[in-house]
Amino acid sequence: MTTWYLGLSTTGHDPALAIFDARGTLVFAEATERYMQDKRAWGVPADHPPHLAQALSAVGADPETDRIVVRSSWRNQKPDMPADMDDLMIPADQALWMWHVQTQAQASVGAGVMRQGFGGQMPDVKGYDHHLCHAVAACHQTPQNDAVCLVLDGEGEVGAAAAYDMTDRQLKRRWRSWGPGSLGAFYAKLTLLCGFDWRLGEEWKLMGLAAFGTPVPELTDALAGTIVVDRGRLRFADRDVVQSAMTLAASYGRRPDEPILKGADLAASAQAAYGRVADQVLQSVLPRTPANLVLTGGCALNSSYNGSIARRFDVASVTVPSAPGDDGNAVGAALLAWMEDTGTAQIPVGTGTAYLGSRPAPEAIRKAQTYSGADIITPCGEESAAKVADLLQQGKIVGVMRGRAEFGPRALGNRSILADPGVPGMKDHINRLVKGREAYRPFAPVVPADQADNWFDHAQAAPFMSFTLPWKAGMGAKVPAVVHEDGTGRLQTVTADANPWMHALCQAMGQATGVPVVLNTSFNIMGKPIVHSVEDAMAMFMTSGLDALLLEDTLFEK
Amino acid sequence: MSDPDLILYLREQIARRTELPLEEVTVTSVLIDIGLESIDAVLLCGDVEDQFDVEIDPSMIFEHDTLGAFADAVQALKAAK
Repeated sequence: MTTWYLGLSTTGHDPALAIFDARGTLVFAEATERYMQDKRAWGVPADHPPHLAQALSAVGADPETDRIVVRSSWRNQKPDMPADMDDLMIPADQALWMWHVQTQAQASVGAGVMRQGFGGQMPDVKGYDHHLCHAVAACHQTPQNDAVCLVLDGEGEVGAAAAYDMTDRQLKRRWRSWGPGSLGAFYAKLTLLCGFDWRLGEEWKLMGLAAFGTPVPELTDALAGTIVVDRGRLRFADRDVVQSAMTLAASYGRRPDEPILKGADLAASAQAAYGRVADQVLQSVLPRTPANLVLTGGCALNSSYNGSIARRFDVASVTVPSAPGDDGNAVGAALLAWMEDTGTAQIPVGTGTAYLGSRPAPEAIRKAQTYSGADIITPCGEESAAKVADLLQQGKIVGVMRGRAEFGPRALGNRSILADPGVPGMKDHINRLVKGREAYRPFAPVVPADQADNWFDHAQAAPFMSFTLPWKAGMGAKVPAVVHEDGTGRLQTVTADANPWMHALCQAMGQATGVPVVLNTSFNIMGKPIVHSVEDAMAMFMTSGLDALLLEDTLFEK
Repeated sequence: MSDPDLILYLREQIARRTELPLEEVTVTSVLIDIGLESIDAVLLCGDVEDQFDVEIDPSMIFEHDTLGAFADAVQALKAAK
């Protein structure tokens, strides 16, 4: 018999589960959306029985004999927000829907665990503070012993920001923001005004579109003025101030059926205003001497802003975890459960890896070899990186499903679509044949960590694609498919230790072409989550313009 | 009996937020009756957390109708630390 610590993200959106073993090692983490193949999996229980069964099986848990401690990532239901403010940022009907979904998520948590066995009793599920879960999960993925940890998101139990100090791996909250005032809600509102839908997680589209526009000074000022920063805490400005800013913003907005670029100046202004407010929070929480900064919460997915921090603030380092959004809270809840159960005050240093999810089922790969009807099937063994490098140089687009799935929104080489970013027209080619997404959105570059300096200004370690950085002068022209409109790229750095296969692929490309840069985009079609099963990957291979599919080290070609 | 500093702090904060003279805000004041709006009650909780190093449950201020009852609840939290 052993004990497992199951953390469940129960905000209602982005449910996820994470499991620590009795020694305090994170052995599994996966978002529910992957299993369900339903983007953001709104309203699906984080302990959805078949997903949980798969996870328990993957770690070797035995529901007949083992003990399980179950914890969630929300402590108690928040009293109603003033409805009028909700209507100014998130429309009241959407906020009400979210509240119902969230209430349901809190109420049902544990039933999926009971379904597995574990004595057949409804588990006593304690909930941890939402922002504490964010902070603990982020610090677990941070190697330093001391850091300032800032959480910025859409909402927590009492507000949407909190600051913590980690000292000798012990976390203490410095403050939390109370009341309405949320950078996440602000960004969601501007996403809507630009004709996108925050419920589908389309904040990315706003951030990407910002590069095509120019911030309008009057609009940026008005938008930045909707959030008052008081000693780091956030509060929406008075109703008339917010309302008049949003009326002005709407005059620059676009309806979903209008041309994308119509919203570009609004997107640029919104991103600039976001940065101005976030800057004030950072200025408030950072000490005079350079400190390690850990940034988390859903707002830490704003890679454009993140990438600007290290060059503008006097910080020793900036860390953003692989899953700063609410999916990542499953890790925080599970880790807090282990710490509480074992009386551990210090946050253990995790391995830092994001490869924490499911593996492709070997039996499914064998079936694919037998029944897929692919033209060429090659068991590549240790030559798979070299073989894929050959295909990429020929201008081919390759889907890759190898090893454990990434935890967090980014595909980092294990569930990725890869291409040579130097091939002319590759960006449009991928969009037309495979991804089907808007032509303006950028694809990301993968570069060996020790060569990132050659390619990017202000290069920094970016194992989880958390930082958008400017390409060095003249270098972007060599890899046009991964250069955004404003001359930046959302860098992923790889090392031989952390990502041996992707590192080998980059090196092979570098040796062959002189350019060790690979285009990496998530293995999905627009609007769907990243593929989960071998069957998901094979279906996409067969029904899109992908030229090849690598399942573990078996290559399928059309 | 609650800490006099806490009582004075709550009276000052609530007087400021309701724009009432300090002497009209006492331990027996019913918070809703003297016009403390729910948004100000929420913000006050955050200020009390910062000032007195306690963790306040979001619903706490709404479960105690008078200033004195809320102060006693905060005091109990401090004592339990």
